[in-house]
Amino acid sequence: MFQTVSTFVIIDLTFSKLGEVMIKLEHISKKFTINGKETKIIEDISLQVEKGDIFGLVGETGSGKSTILRLMNGFMAPDEGNIFLMGEKLDEKTKYRLVKDTSMIFQDFNLLGNLNVLDNVLLPTRLRRGSKKDNLDKAKNLLSFVGLSNFEESYIRNLSGGEKQRVAIARTLMTSPKVVFCDEPTSALDHKMSYEILKLLKEINDKFDTTIVLVSHDISVIKSLCNRVAILEKGKVRDIISLDTKDLMPLSYREALLYD
Amino acid sequence: MINQYMDTFRLFEVDIFRSLYETVDMMFTAMAVSLILGLILGFVLFITGSQGIFKNKAVYFVVSGLINITRSIPFILFIIVIIPLNRVILGTGFGVNASKIPLSFIGIATFSRFTEKDLLDVDKSIYETSYALGSNTLQYFIYFLLREARSGLVLSFTSTSISLLSYSTVMGIIGGGGLGYLAISEGYYNFNYKLMWIIIVMMILIVQFIQTTGNVVAKKIDKR
Repeated sequence: MFQTVSTFVIIDLTFSKLGEVMIKLEHISKKFTINGKETKIIEDISLQVEKGDIFGLVGETGSGKSTILRLMNGFMAPDEGNIFLMGEKLDEKTKYRLVKDTSMIFQDFNLLGNLNVLDNVLLPTRLRRGSKKDNLDKAKNLLSFVGLSNFEESYIRNLSGGEKQRVAIARTLMTSPKVVFCDEPTSALDHKMSYEILKLLKEINDKFDTTIVLVSHDISVIKSLCNRVAILEKGKVRDIISLDTKDLMPLSYREALLYD
Repeated sequence: MINQYMDTFRLFEVDIFRSLYETVDMMFTAMAVSLILGLILGFVLFITGSQGIFKNKAVYFVVSGLINITRSIPFILFIIVIIPLNRVILGTGFGVNASKIPLSFIGIATFSRFTEKDLLDVDKSIYETSYALGSNTLQYFIYFLLREARSGLVLSFTSTSISLLSYSTVMGIIGGGGLGYLAISEGYYNFNYKLMWIIIVMMILIVQFIQTTGNVVAKKIDKR
């Protein structure tokens, strides 16, 4: 499939543009014990993500893409190799500080059901120091940015999937993260909602120059958003590809079905 | 017939209210201790258990074992075997204050098990969510786990309180007094069945009150 698309340019890592490196993986390996048997999930992966990138990780289920995301934010530690986040080495001591400059968007939104929309958005600020008034103003602005101004007092159970993900995005932006990790952010959403969410991610990248790392098994999501993509196969990087990113276009069901 | 019951009530009014006060006194202390220590031990079980973030078989085995032992000894015998401990803590093995010790132990054991279960019922992904949003372990407990488990915990605490009321009725054997003891000693052994029935109805009303309050609070704070 990749060879047939003319906009793809295969490049070598060493010739990538010289930007500020936000994430660097050096010879990372990770094993899990599954049913009492040690299985290598990630095998000797090296890659780097630069500032302002929308970096895609694609691969089949079990290729290790979600694991890489959790290694990148320090939630998991690698068995071998080093990870640098914003220039600093991730370890047990630095991870709690470094992760504060990042955030994550999940497939199942991972909002707190006992908090209303506004409190969910404010939640990351409760874990940090800062002015309550400023935070409240910012949360309200962000809810307006994601188009949910009228939902401040609503509880999560009353929202649609797309609305939930937009709350999660507002929550993510609350701390002005330098890097946003997205784990299958549109997998639980229908076509139209997915487009809205992708558009929002693109806007965030444009507006705040936020680096985004996006995991998806859906090639159309990756294609519409990412400027660089790592293709994973059985825990190894098969290829890293640069894409000419186009403007994100809304697709009707008809267009999506008929055209590539 | 109602008049006969009213007469009995008036006759024993002082005893009934004294016993009610003893029951409330024992219950209140045991409930407060169970709430705090039961919650802490429940957390310890949860984090050191097989799915916990600080998995530790030895700690889990010891804490879980102690809880099981406390719960498995018939309560009336448990009261007797810890009399020496009452003496160490309070200087006396008997009385209302001494009764608070075995009651607190059984309350802690019951509520910690409930807490462990309530925490296990919370969506497992919440730990990762808390980490990704920048929280440390303590913040994970307070801002994430406790918040999502709160309505379950309220219902568990309600059940623990009702169990404590039931357990408090046998505290008479170490001089703890209380409503249950009055019903047995004066009502049953002295053939004053009307008094026994008055106290049974009072106990039913207390349980209804506790359960209804628990249900209302749990429902009010559950927004999921």
